[in-house]
Amino acid sequence: MKKNLNRMAALLMTVACVSSLAACGSSTTTETTKAADTTAAADTTAAGTEAAAAPAEKSELAGQSITLLNSKGEIQTALEELAATFTDETGINLEVLACGTGEVPYTKVTSMYSSGTAPTMSILDTTDVIALAGEYGLDLSSQDWIKYCDNMTTKIDGKVYSFPFCVEGRGIIYSKKSIEDALGKTFDPASINSLDSFKAVCEELRAAGMENPVVLSKEDWSLGAHQLGYIYDTYDGTTAGADKIMAALKDGSQKVEDYDRFNQFMDTMDVILDYNYNKEDPLGAIYDEDPMHLVEGEAAFWPNGNWAWPNLETAGAETSDDYGFIPFVLGNDSSDLANTSMQASPTKQLMVDAKQSTEEQQKAALEFINWLVNSESGQKGLVEKLALIPACSNNTVAPKDPLSRDIVAKMTSGNTYSSSFVAPSDHWSVVGAVMQKYVAGQTDRAGAASEIDAYWQAQK
Amino acid sequence: MNSLGRTTGDKIKSFLMFALPGTFVFVCVVIIPFLYGFYLTFTDWNGVAAVKNLVGFDNYKALAQDKDFWNSMGLTLKYVVLSVILVNAFGFLFAYFLSGRIKKGQNVFRAGFFTPNLIGGVVLGFIWQFVFSQLLVKFGKSLGIAIFSKSWLSDPTKAFWALVIVTVWQLSGYMMLIYIAGFTGLSEDVLEAASIDGAYGWSKMRHIVLPLMVPSFVICIFLTLSRAFMVYDINLTLTGGEPYGSTRLVAMHVYEKAFTARQYGIGQAEAVFLFFVVAIISGLQVYIGKKQEVEA
Repeated sequence: MKKNLNRMAALLMTVACVSSLAACGSSTTTETTKAADTTAAADTTAAGTEAAAAPAEKSELAGQSITLLNSKGEIQTALEELAATFTDETGINLEVLACGTGEVPYTKVTSMYSSGTAPTMSILDTTDVIALAGEYGLDLSSQDWIKYCDNMTTKIDGKVYSFPFCVEGRGIIYSKKSIEDALGKTFDPASINSLDSFKAVCEELRAAGMENPVVLSKEDWSLGAHQLGYIYDTYDGTTAGADKIMAALKDGSQKVEDYDRFNQFMDTMDVILDYNYNKEDPLGAIYDEDPMHLVEGEAAFWPNGNWAWPNLETAGAETSDDYGFIPFVLGNDSSDLANTSMQASPTKQLMVDAKQSTEEQQKAALEFINWLVNSESGQKGLVEKLALIPACSNNTVAPKDPLSRDIVAKMTSGNTYSSSFVAPSDHWSVVGAVMQKYVAGQTDRAGAASEIDAYWQAQK
Repeated sequence: MNSLGRTTGDKIKSFLMFALPGTFVFVCVVIIPFLYGFYLTFTDWNGVAAVKNLVGFDNYKALAQDKDFWNSMGLTLKYVVLSVILVNAFGFLFAYFLSGRIKKGQNVFRAGFFTPNLIGGVVLGFIWQFVFSQLLVKFGKSLGIAIFSKSWLSDPTKAFWALVIVTVWQLSGYMMLIYIAGFTGLSEDVLEAASIDGAYGWSKMRHIVLPLMVPSFVICIFLTLSRAFMVYDINLTLTGGEPYGSTRLVAMHVYEKAFTARQYGIGQAEAVFLFFVVAIISGLQVYIGKKQEVEA
């Protein structure tokens, strides 16, 4: 009897332990309860303030409570401060919900939707908006702010469902000081407008004693989405173009190995690998150390984007230093848009919920967007507090860091192309792994091409 | 048993009082989500759509064709076998020496070996990532030791061993504790009788100690088996599946399938499959292990 009981207990334990994994649903349950709690809490505070005082001069929506899910962890605190300013000015209560570290924003927002506690607004990646908008997004096509950022919006079936929250750009970051110190002469970034000119300056640097001037990070998101992403971005520099080439890769009418941009990209990659600071052990590169090589003058270039500024700053760079972008050069045609311009597109989108929020809440959300676009404190907050590059042309507040300043300058002079990243959500991870193999010398160009082909063919 | 209730009414009353709350919670947070999850494997749900279409066994067909899943599964089996053996071997050895053999500083050693288990897997992964990719590399470079001069985490085989090493480091202290309890529970009389009968050293270990320790082995192997099969935290923070996806264990693959690739149905089907694999293996292990138990 006792033995039987033991056996039973052991079996039950097995079931209990093991099923905790299989039952993904259970974690969702706890998650949503938490979310529900916060909403409930927000409601009570709202009621409280409403009863206390809602001054007449404030917005007619004063007292409304809305929530904003933030998927950009690094701006969480600043965004909360900005939300407080917004509440002070309009009387609309805005609560910023954080997406925890390591929590995938899409997972978070979908579990909130499934449990009926969707945030009024969510800041999401463009791919996530495309996945969600048709079903849950509020149509923003007739909003007034569109006139300031028409070329930056993402259209789904011809409609705009999201506000481009910030622009991010990428290319090859250069440190003017590193280069000039090594070469002993002034460096004009505009002189790099082809693969040959890039190779020439690398060779010059090597001859001057900077053995390996390019730092290549090994992260799969960097290699997969940001570096390889150029082959889609530069199809014609638009999101529609990227869509077109992806469709062609999917249906097999375009093979990766025959695609010009891919071969040009791999040519550039080969040059980068030849001059790679992390050459000895390319996959042993450490992301936090990569910017240090630039700051300390041991290297000159780092293929990355303006989101890397905090890393550079931590490594010791000052906002007054001369950092900027050269394009991720492709081929030798110096009039090619890949060589004259850098990629800069809205990476985070703000979507307004149309299904689970009340009409007043939706109006309040629209007011928040208008406040960000048009009010002085909104404009300043976006650029200075959140350190973002605004997508709307009427916002002329100058960014503080040199990388963002460079992007704004290039946007103004028309030297950017804007193609949002619209590849499937696992692209960065799968293709990132392929690129890692290539970087580590575990596969060659043909092998990488066929693996990327296989990835696209597998998409439905 | 009988004291709990003489009549059926009493029995129901005592069940309601003692077992119902627990059963209710168990059903709510384990059984229902599990069944619902099982149902989801027959749909094409992407995790968010309001409409779920029934697709029959398509997800299971996709599972069978998911080459990466089987690669992860194979890697996981290798990882499980190695960790179960090494964790238990080390745990047993530590316990053996720290339950009588070594008297001086016994408690310090016990605490020392147990401490890693108190550090959460995520933190632990980050600590060891630093050790493998920076500390050892600096040492290796300055002392000219070839094996350490490159990051272990940039090579598929070494990265896999890094995972095993960290797992052993984390779990063996915990298992040691269970084995120590087992050793403490051994009857002095039996051991003394064995000595009088002339059993010493290995033969005493082989014929007297090991058979009596079977209950501890059953528990420890069960715990290591289930933990190793479903490891995610260390995998995520130590290697993140890198280099190039070669150290992606099956739990991580399931997560990526469901949430990164957004093929929720397939991911869920893979999770259910994994559940059955683990349940069967652990069940068998417990069943066979229990048969080996002897009464002293």
